[in-house]
This record gives sequence, structure tokens and C-alpha cells, in this order.
Amino acid sequence: MKKIPLLEKLANVCALAAGVLMSFIILLTCASIIGRELIGSTVVGDFELVGLATGAAIALFMPLCQLKQGNIIVDFFTVKVPRRINAGLDRLGALVLAVCFALLTWRTVVGGLNSYDTHIGSMLLGFPEWVVYAAMVPPFLLTAVIALHQAVAGFAHQHEHHDNVEVSI
Amino acid sequence: MSAVSMTLLFLAMMFVMMALRFPIAIAMFVSGSVGYIMQTGWSPYLNSMNTATFARFASYDLSVIPLFILMGHFATQGGISKALFAFTAAIMGRFKGGLAMAAVLASAAFGAICGSSVATAATITGVALPEMKRHGYSGRLATGTLATAGTLGILIPPSVPLVIYAILTEQNIAKLFLAATIPGIIAMIGYMLVIFVYVRLVPGHAPEVDKHPAKLTVASFIGVAPIAAVFVLVFGGIYGGFFSPTEGAAVGSAAAFVAALFKRELTWAKFLHCFYATAQSSAMIFLIFIGADIMNSALALTQIQHQLVTLINSWHVSPMMVMGAIIALHIVLGMVTEELSIVLLTIPIFFPVVMSLDFGMPKESVAIWFGILILMVISFGMLVPPMGLNVYVVNGMAKNVPLSESFRGVLPFLVSDFIRIGLLLAFPSICLVLLRFMS
Repeated sequence: MKKIPLLEKLANVCALAAGVLMSFIILLTCASIIGRELIGSTVVGDFELVGLATGAAIALFMPLCQLKQGNIIVDFFTVKVPRRINAGLDRLGALVLAVCFALLTWRTVVGGLNSYDTHIGSMLLGFPEWVVYAAMVPPFLLTAVIALHQAVAGFAHQHEHHDNVEVSI
Repeated sequence: MSAVSMTLLFLAMMFVMMALRFPIAIAMFVSGSVGYIMQTGWSPYLNSMNTATFARFASYDLSVIPLFILMGHFATQGGISKALFAFTAAIMGRFKGGLAMAAVLASAAFGAICGSSVATAATITGVALPEMKRHGYSGRLATGTLATAGTLGILIPPSVPLVIYAILTEQNIAKLFLAATIPGIIAMIGYMLVIFVYVRLVPGHAPEVDKHPAKLTVASFIGVAPIAAVFVLVFGGIYGGFFSPTEGAAVGSAAAFVAALFKRELTWAKFLHCFYATAQSSAMIFLIFIGADIMNSALALTQIQHQLVTLINSWHVSPMMVMGAIIALHIVLGMVTEELSIVLLTIPIFFPVVMSLDFGMPKESVAIWFGILILMVISFGMLVPPMGLNVYVVNGMAKNVPLSESFRGVLPFLVSDFIRIGLLLAFPSICLVLLRFMS
């Protein structure tokens, strides 16, 4: 079997964790609708739980996207530039992205600690918000590490954004 | 530094970074951060970053985006496209250029349960392209048709870009979907007309009429039943007042999953793939959200939006001219950058301008009309260089067709896009009439 690099494994785990959260959102929403239409009672606090789960899921989406070079670029102005220079620019871009995610990681830790200290919870259920901050920190850090690795070691292949069918609307 | 020069400074910075192949989201993030720090200093900036991601991401409304994307991937992986194309081919097969028209029809039907343009293009191309090749369609017409027809994925609701517009401008998603319906159907008919005319004017791109077209059978009806069922469930539920569009997206995901199970095409690997693919598309969008948020905060600090509103109102030009100019600007922007990302940045700037103008109709109607126009512009951006994602994707799937041929194949369809955008500019009621009828 093909050996999967550690960073890719971790990114996949994050995406699957997000998938579990999405499934939770779907089931919760369906249960809530069925309850409302048939029995006349909804799941209490379903809105807030969906919101909080969405927050964690979105952060967990990030590492895989960066790993697959899914963050969209414009290559219109650099088509005629030699490949070597473009590869260098792509690594520079990854480096700056790594710095941005390092910043996000740091500030999310601070924000989470603030939230923990002040006991901020959701409106109906009082679900502590710091839990979501805590769930966001590892994927942000992982994204920074993945981008840093790409900046240092280079990309496995040339950045060809339009070949990546998965990352598009 | 004046608001204008400050704004120009970090917009220039952003465009330079984009041109240097920085991820678009990061170009926005960095230049927005620089603009923010220049105006407030470090400490307020860092404080705002503490809650920036939580405040943006942990929101009930936002869940609708990954849910509609997931629904589309279940539909894509579920193997319903083959039956769908067989069905539309049986309807259109007797006409010249019939398979191309069938591809448009199939894309429109698939677009009714999928909110993504590229996913629709890729899905229908997978089943339609081999058939079109086998029947002797030229690479130019086949790939041009399929790339264009893919935009029906977003032109016909559900539509991820429209959901993004709704979130940015705090408009009602259900109303926007309803407003998109007639323009979406016009787009579909327009594309079929283009094929009808093209195969007659330019010989050699489509075979003569198929003497023995496939027949409509009971089996072909059963084949498309899952799509119809998912569509009726989701939109029946939303417009029947049973649930909100966000809930509809969750129900739709579940329904598309069940439909895929019934088709017995969803393996465990494909199931996981749906989540991986959803993760990637969603992350791409949400990172642009974060970048655009910071850029917009920096722009808001300069109060450029307010100045722009005052400036444009001081010109006393007709509101229609302004709207036309904004749409023209977006068409040009789509030819140099990626449209969807740019829209996240331009909407917060231009939306207040548009809302300040008097079009002689209620504000909500203006907001909806503007949203549909923006949607048309985004779909246009999917077809023109440099990004033209749909064209790249379809061309990538068709071996032996040069990219230039595919872009050439798209050209005739762009005529119909232009006419449609013009019609919608001149007659806003095209998108508003259903809303009036429903309420």
C-alpha cells in the first residue's frame, strides 16, 4: 500500500472530523424539522448547536484545502514567466499563507482564553464557546505547518489550479 | 492620507499580490491587514483578530454553504447523471444538434439539485461527452456546450454564489432562489437556441439528424425519478413553508445521499470523497470570506463606501447608468481575475451604492435584482479567460481538444449571455414577477 505522508493523514483526519460535524448538523436539522412538523416540538437550541458545529467544521476544512493547493490563485499574468520563477512565487505565497495562519492560530488561542475566562456560552443551552475556539486552533496550526512545509520543500507538482475540480463552485 | 489614496494604496497592493500568484484570499488578508494597521495601529487590529474567525465561521446561516456543496457532491457521486442524460437525449434526439441540446437540458435539471457550476459541468460532461463524440460532434461544439451548460448549475437554484450574496447582503435566500428561476430558464432556452442556430449556420460541427433516436421508456422515467424527488422535497419544503433554506440544504443533503444509496453507486470510498471534496471547496470559499472581511474592515475604516455613495449621487446620472456601469465593471474584472472572489470584495462596496439609488421600486426588489445580475456576471466569469474554470474542467476531461477550440466553442453562447444580462438590466420584472406572484 502507498505510504501516506503524516501531514496528509492529519489533514484527512481534520476533513473527516468536519464530515462528522456536517453529518451531525444534517441529522440534528432533520430531527428538528420532523419534531416540529409532526409532534410540534423542536430540538431546543438546534440553531446554536448548528452554528457552533459549523464554526468548528469550517476550520477543520482548511488543512486539506491547502494541502491540495486548493486556495485559488490568478495565473493570468504569469503564464509566460519561466516555470522556475512561478514555482518560487508559489512557495513565497505558501510562506505568506503560513504566516497568516500562524497569526490566526495565535489570536484564536487568545480569543479562546478570553472566552474561557469570561464563561461565554450560547444563548439557550449555555454551551461554552471556548470549545469551538479550541477546535479551531489545531486545524489552523496544521494549515500553517502544511503551508510552511510547501514553502520549504516546494510543491509536489506545479500549481495548476484548474485541474483541481474539487475546489470550485 | 486621504480615504481615496489610502484605498487605492491597498487595493493596488492586493492586485499586485494577486498578479504574483499569491492565493487570492491571502492577497486580501495581507493588504487588508496592512490597511487596518495603518489606520488604527497594532493593538486594535490584533484584538479584532481574536474573534474574527469565530465570529465569521460559527454562524447558523453559514452552514447552508457546505450543506449545499455536500448535496451537490452526493448528487454527483450518486450516479444519477447517466439516467438523466439518457432521458434528455431521448427527448431531444430527433433534432439536429439534439445531443448538445440534451446536454443543456440535463445540466439544467442537474442544476436544480446542485448549486455548483463546475460540479455540474464535470458531472454532465462525464456522461454526455463520450456520447457526443461517438455521434460525431466536433470537439469545439461539444466542449463549448458542456462548459456553458455547466453554468446552469448556479443559474438555476440552488446556487452557492447566490447563497453567498444573500449572506453578504442579508437578503432572503428563498426569495433570491425564486427570483433566479425565470432568468435560469431563459438561460437554458437561450443556450438551446444558440445550438439550434449554430448547427445550421456553421456546418460540420454536428451530425445530421439521428435516424434512430433512443425512445422514451418507462425505465428512463424511473431513472430521473430520484432527481425529481430530491428537487420536490427541497423546494416543496422551502416554498411550502415547512422549513428554511438552510434546513432545506440539510434535508437536501440527506435526500441526495439516500437517492445515491438507491442507485447503488455510492461506495465507501466515494462517500468519503464527497466529504473531502466538500471540505476543499468550502475551505476555499471561507478563507476568501476571512480575507474579504479584513479587507472590508480596512475599507470601512476609510469610509470610502460612504464617500462613494455621496460622490455617485452628486453626479446626478441616471440610476440605470450606474447599474450598467457596475455590471460592465464586473464583466471586465471577470476577464482579469476570478469573479467569485472579487465579488466578495466588491459587493460590500457597491451594494450601498446600488441601494442608495432610486429605481422606482422597493429596496428589497432592487437588492434581489442586483443579486441576480451579479449571479449572471459570475457565471459569465466561469466561461471567459483567464479563469474560465468551467472551460478548463471540461477541456481537461476531453482529451485531444485544444483549449483554444473549447474557448472558441463557448463564444456563441456568450452572445446569449450578453443578451440575457441586457434584458435583465432593462426589465427587472423578469426576476421579480415570480416573487410578486408568490406573495
